[in-house]
Amino acid sequence: MIKDSLHRIWLLCKKNITAYVRQGPVLMFGLLFPFFMTLSWVIGRNISLNLVFIGIVAMTSFFTATAISPVVLPIETREKSLEKILVSPISLNEILFGIILASTLYSVIITSIITITLVLLFSLTLESLSLVFILLLGIGLMAILGSLLGLLVAGYHTDNFANIMILVNLVKFPLLFMSGIFLPLNELPPHLVYLSFISPITFLTDLLRYCVDGSNYFTLLFDIVMLIVWIVSLFITGYIIHKRTMPKRFSGTQKLKKK
Amino acid sequence: MEKIVYENSLLDDDLMNIEKKNVIRVFNLTKKFGDLIAVENTSFSIKKGDIVGILGPNGAGKTTTIRLLTGVFELESHSKIEILGEDIAKNPSQYKKNFGIIPEVSNAFSDYTVWQNMKFSGGIYGISKELIKKRSKKLLTQFNLINKIHSKTKTLSKGLKQRLNLCLALLHDPPILILDEPTSGLDPISVNLMRNQILKLKEEGKTILITTHNMREAQKICDRILIMNKGKIIADESPTYLREKFKSTSTILFKIKGQVSTDLKKTLLNTFNISEKKGNYVLNSYNAIIDIANLYQLSKEKKIKISGLKLRDTSLEEVFIHLIEDDLKNKEEMSNK
Repeated sequence: MIKDSLHRIWLLCKKNITAYVRQGPVLMFGLLFPFFMTLSWVIGRNISLNLVFIGIVAMTSFFTATAISPVVLPIETREKSLEKILVSPISLNEILFGIILASTLYSVIITSIITITLVLLFSLTLESLSLVFILLLGIGLMAILGSLLGLLVAGYHTDNFANIMILVNLVKFPLLFMSGIFLPLNELPPHLVYLSFISPITFLTDLLRYCVDGSNYFTLLFDIVMLIVWIVSLFITGYIIHKRTMPKRFSGTQKLKKK
Repeated sequence: MEKIVYENSLLDDDLMNIEKKNVIRVFNLTKKFGDLIAVENTSFSIKKGDIVGILGPNGAGKTTTIRLLTGVFELESHSKIEILGEDIAKNPSQYKKNFGIIPEVSNAFSDYTVWQNMKFSGGIYGISKELIKKRSKKLLTQFNLINKIHSKTKTLSKGLKQRLNLCLALLHDPPILILDEPTSGLDPISVNLMRNQILKLKEEGKTILITTHNMREAQKICDRILIMNKGKIIADESPTYLREKFKSTSTILFKIKGQVSTDLKKTLLNTFNISEKKGNYVLNSYNAIIDIANLYQLSKEKKIKISGLKLRDTSLEEVFIHLIEDDLKNKEEMSNK
């Protein structure tokens, strides 16, 4: 039973990766956006390589993770393939996990490539193998978290993915600026540190600081726990919202007269 | 707890035996969208090997009924659906394996090739790789799609996409097929091909539920017709019975020479059950002789020239219009009371 369910999730994940990786919004918001944001942040400024590394990895991880998950449901609602999936022996959980897995894998793969390239380019050294593991754990957790965040926003039952991308960006950018990527938390006034708690990227950035130069603000355990708390909360909220809004994706097409 | 009484509940032993042949049993199906009632307390059953057509105007509740049946919408607490004798609530996702669904608009993944779609669909239904290959080859050959196996779905014509949908629906060999407007927008050759395939599938023992606007198609292939209006089934009969029932009704067709004033149009519409399109008048008549006599009388009084008068037996299409109009009249009368 579980094996069958995992098989279906894997098939959905493969389909999501095949169909959406080359989609315009995914390329633009997943790859081009973090690239140009990094350029505008770094060029002409005297920023340490460690800070640049942390910024790029955190931004890539967050942007790539939130690239696929918001577009799958609106596009499939428009193309009617979502109804095909719903009438198959697939549960809502499997549909959502298929999207989360695709989005997470996409983020982990791209972020890992960028991380390895930057480590080689900046000649960075991580002191122990456990730090490499923690770094990968952070990237993995952020990939899941970002996928869930994108999926949560996609709970708005529209078949127009442009509307969803506007909503996603409306959520993403404030979270990015609050996170301490551009300014370390220990340089912020205390009230802004409290504000940074709203952004889950804060805890990834802090975890990356722990790995790179040990300049973390919170403890490592706190960062990991907070990322997990965010993941659990986003999954529960996302599931509840999608359970409610999934039928509405089809009720909108009914041309009914009021009785 | 309040006891739920199902409209179709059968207590008689003999009747229960007959009902065993039913592959689909629907009880008190209801779906509301806010204040709108899309389907209201609808009950019906479908026997094994039957082709049943659901007919109705736009917004009648046909697609909502299908979506409730296929699990796209959740059932209300007092509604119940049994597929092959099993209450679907007991196994909400696995009962769907009994269905093969052919939608009005192709819903195969457009970025996938024909083969990738077959592989995906087979995998979802838990079919082994070897069996997917074997069945895909057979189905794609049967529906003349084998030479398109590596073409992307988005490059296929509408007719080919519909054939692919049929292949996808049949891949897991389901006992029940649900077709939503399967011939809508297809060219006559594809319509004929699709119709023959449906009849062939019936011969193979498949139970088929079909929604359509096409009365001729329904008349040709359906064993039973459910006519829906405003969420309710207003007729559940065989096409032959429906035509027999309305045999006493006729359709009078005529034209009026020269200009027709608004007053005259009003008089015609008020006197007869009449409709007009581009100067062609259609009169649905329960007593053709009296109606023709009245029409003749009116033409003399108003000094108009009637031409091209034709009398025709009622087609299933006209039965459908009669039923819908009668239903609307009844509802109006009820609300006036």
